[in-house]
Amino acid sequence: MVVKKIGDKVIRLVMGDITDLEVAAFVYDITADAKLGSGYGSAITTRGGKVVQEELDAIGSCPTGEAITTTAGKLKAGRIIHVNGPKFHEPGTEDKLRQTTVAALQLAEKNGITQLAFPPVGTGLYQVPLAVCARVMIDTVAEHLANNSSVEEVIFVALDTREFEPLAAVLQGGA
Amino acid sequence: MSTEVESYKIQKMVELLAPKLTRQVVGSLVGCVHCGMCHETCHYVMTHPDDPKMTPSYKADQLRKLFKRHYDWTGRVFPGWVGAKPPTRDVDLDELKDIAFGTCTNCRRCTFNCPMGVDTATLNRIMRGLLTQVGVMPEGVRVVSKDTWELGNQMGVLKEDYVETLEWLSEELVMELDDERATIPIDKVGANIVYTINPREVKYDPRTISEAALIFYAAAEDWTMPSWGWDQTNFGLFSGDDAMGAASYRHLQEKNAELGSQRLVISECGHGYRSTRCEGPNWSKTDQDFVMESSVMTMLRYIKEGRIVVDKTKNSDPVTFHDSCNNARSCGFYEEPRELLKLVCTDFQEMYPNRTENYCCTGGGGAMSMSEYTPRRLVSAKVKADQIAETGAKVVVTSCHNCVDGLGDLIRHYKLDCQVKQLVHLVANALVLEECAISKIPKEKPVPEPVPEPVQEPVVIPVEIPADRVKIADALSGRRILIVEDEEDTRIFLATLLQDAGAVTLEAVDGDEAIATARAEKPDLITLDLSMPGKDGVEAFIEIRNDPDIRDIPVCIVTGHPEFRKVIYDRPVRPPEGYMDKPVIEEDLVANLRRILETSRAEGS
Ligand code: SF4
Ligand code: SF4
Repeated sequence: MVVKKIGDKVIRLVMGDITDLEVAAFVYDITADAKLGSGYGSAITTRGGKVVQEELDAIGSCPTGEAITTTAGKLKAGRIIHVNGPKFHEPGTEDKLRQTTVAALQLAEKNGITQLAFPPVGTGLYQVPLAVCARVMIDTVAEHLANNSSVEEVIFVALDTREFEPLAAVLQGGA
Repeated sequence: MSTEVESYKIQKMVELLAPKLTRQVVGSLVGCVHCGMCHETCHYVMTHPDDPKMTPSYKADQLRKLFKRHYDWTGRVFPGWVGAKPPTRDVDLDELKDIAFGTCTNCRRCTFNCPMGVDTATLNRIMRGLLTQVGVMPEGVRVVSKDTWELGNQMGVLKEDYVETLEWLSEELVMELDDERATIPIDKVGANIVYTINPREVKYDPRTISEAALIFYAAAEDWTMPSWGWDQTNFGLFSGDDAMGAASYRHLQEKNAELGSQRLVISECGHGYRSTRCEGPNWSKTDQDFVMESSVMTMLRYIKEGRIVVDKTKNSDPVTFHDSCNNARSCGFYEEPRELLKLVCTDFQEMYPNRTENYCCTGGGGAMSMSEYTPRRLVSAKVKADQIAETGAKVVVTSCHNCVDGLGDLIRHYKLDCQVKQLVHLVANALVLEECAISKIPKEKPVPEPVPEPVQEPVVIPVEIPADRVKIADALSGRRILIVEDEEDTRIFLATLLQDAGAVTLEAVDGDEAIATARAEKPDLITLDLSMPGKDGVEAFIEIRNDPDIRDIPVCIVTGHPEFRKVIYDRPVRPPEGYMDKPVIEEDLVANLRRILETSRAEGS
């Protein structure tokens, strides 16, 4: 685990499956149609139950850069914040990633959530390079936490060492 | 970059092409003289002789046009000279997708028949990679890729489900052999062998895991299965995404190092073998400091070293061998399976052509996951079907899980009288356990159980069970199973089989009746045929899954038709807990249903 302090706030980096984490809320990178789909989406459905998708269906959509929230069914987490991060080399990737990260933090604050876990949003299938994601997301989170956020702890959750290393490099590099 | 490109995605594709332009790739891009010599070697051309769009050169020309217009100086300056009219608009992307994913299985047969050394399959894979990078791909490719990236395996198997299935298989084997040494070890540090599998095995065909475990047991091998990094397949090979290929390979490599093993064994899978053994270290740009081998080599070594003893007369049906394209053409791996096959069966005959000239099973290149192209795939499968029929074999053996599915589909579609098996099945079946290495190691004396106080013996009424039914009897004791099947003979056969295994059966003849009976009776499990009159089985399945009252009832699809792959790969709803091909093998069906009943869980449980 890597830890970085921002005043009295903290950013942690851990390795594991974000959908299996005991945390106040975690972030899921969803598509605009608010369908959970496969990958972490199917883990949410299988472990958490159909309720998450039902709540999403009632909301209907999640435009790029925005965030919506649902309960987490039977998952260990308290809530899920669904964001629609940049996908497939779309224009303005870095700005959208910044906007998405802030949207998740603001929605957490609005819901009184003080502990929030993030995956590396936009990477993997969606093609944002890990190094870019690590730099943009950690910068954005650090800046947000330093500015009177009610979120006290942000946890970055890497699936494997491939994801862990660039996130750790930015955190340890004092970005 | 050209300003005439209207599509942002195509502009991106042109940019993303640059780092892929290695010397070999450029050689293939500029080397084609359109001589047509490769055309007749492609199964799509052979089955669509009047369609010029099926020719290998036409498929590769799609990438060639992008290259010539944007990178090659002649095309940039005089596009008309080189016929470089590349795609420019978003609407062109759909056609590119259909060509790259729907008209080529990347089998490389044309590559082997090009006098200029043009590797059309590599060019097609690059086109796939460019398309997936900008988000243009068949739904099945998107679903499977996301699973691979986020859950570490291409069928979205959760860690707890994987481990639970292995533990269940392990208990079964220990019980069957009455020997604790038959346990399937998970994450054993320092084992000689780390055994990795195709997710299809743990999800739908766990028999192959039990058979491999039996062989490791017989050889008295010190082996283990990893709890992570166990998926030796690699969807990056199919989608063209090298980064995903590297990520998947690293999971195996890192877990193998963590377990301190020197030898990673890859279960029988053509693209898994190629991706892990041949491509993985390149994609991930890492050194390889351990041995990787196909389980075919492992089994062959055990026989040669006398660690396992086999009796080939136990496999006496006429057998032929299908070379997986990835094994044969991309890895030069075709003699060892034949050597092994001849040791474990009595009647082997080649199909022609074979080895590097063999025809694709038509399920390669990720084709099984792209249900929209199934009709065209099955037409192109005629070449393979004829090739198999000519051998007169009753069993087609192949060392590839994809080929098992591809061949299974074409055997049903063309109504061939044969079945598909893998070498692991033949080897396990031919084992003479009492002469294998394990029989020479004395079992540790079990600690005697304390003798219980004598109790009143219950009255047991002896029931005569034929020897071959002993394993089946009572396996499904008391379970209520709904059989959905329109053909009366098959329905009666299934009902008798499941009742013999102790189940209470309910029956439905079509989709509507299935849903009504499931709602009214809430059975423990449903076996569902997909081709029925009235409501189509796929529709019925989706309706069952969308009904909150019955969606958690496990479903095993028992089908003779390939359309069920849509519900496995496109996943409009949670996929079925199991599927079985027709005709069903009695013992396999009962074992599979038992596994489903004992290991599947309701959503959110
Ligand atoms: S790929 Fe080779 S064989 Fe095929 S048309 Fe081109 S040069 Fe001829
Ligand atoms: S790689 Fe195989 S399927 Fe693709 S064009 Fe060549 S022969 Fe045909």
